[in-house]
Amino acid sequence: MTELTEIEIRALKAIKSSPDGILQSELWKELDVDSRKCSRIVKKLLESESVERIEYRQDGIKTYRLIVRKGPIDPGFLMAGDELIPCVACELECVIEECPFLLDWMYQLAIADAGGKE
Amino acid sequence: MATFKEIQNTHPAITAYLHRLVGDEGMDLIDKFPENEEHSDEDLAAMTDINLNSVRNTLYTLYEKRLAEYRRIKNNETGWLTYLWHLEGANIEPAIAQDVEVVLGKLKNRARYEEENDFYICKQCGITITFNQAMDLEFKCPSCEEPMDHFENELLLRALQNRIEVIEDSLGLV
Repeated sequence: MTELTEIEIRALKAIKSSPDGILQSELWKELDVDSRKCSRIVKKLLESESVERIEYRQDGIKTYRLIVRKGPIDPGFLMAGDELIPCVACELECVIEECPFLLDWMYQLAIADAGGKE
Repeated sequence: MATFKEIQNTHPAITAYLHRLVGDEGMDLIDKFPENEEHSDEDLAAMTDINLNSVRNTLYTLYEKRLAEYRRIKNNETGWLTYLWHLEGANIEPAIAQDVEVVLGKLKNRARYEEENDFYICKQCGITITFNQAMDLEFKCPSCEEPMDHFENELLLRALQNRIEVIEDSLGLV
């Protein structure tokens, strides 16, 4: 896969900046390029599989909504060593800054990180 | 297509996740639930020897995450409705993905708190408080009144930041 150029990285950042992505018709204005150049940038991003596009109609005109492509979610993200994060199915009032259960989990995470266990 | 139990066994985190949701009896039900079949809650209770209320609780908990779904059939003679349940293994990954996104927000908040504060710890009781709280208490433990020591949270913070980074990377957010 070829590396992205500076303008392609700027485009990718613009697409990532919103969970709903960005319309291609807005992207070329934001990048201050013409629509043809923008199409080439988008083509490169699509080829790199970092974004996907969904057809979208705005005032009857066809454009595309560009959204960032999510990778597969590793269920292990919820684990620290053998410990599942306490937030899953937690029914306590969430005071995340002072949660002692999360603190315990964070210790496990630091130990697992230090030991390269995960 | 992989069955619920096959997907469950692909990663220990999935088993831990399901266990947290439904507990021991719920896991027992999942274990005994016939693959790719649908059954009423009463049939499931009878065939698994699990208490009917427990079967229902498990099914409703799984349903909230769309990990179990039902089909409703009506007896035309009696008008009675029967709910036939089945497990939906294909929804395990989306359910976990949704929780990972929620967890990401929590971890970011906690990391910010860890980054913005200085902490003091009581080596007797293990109680940790912020610098401001320690100031108010003249650096004495609120429980045993022993002097408190500075707590270096750098390793905890770094571990949190690493986890946040890999999650964000996976979600395409960096």
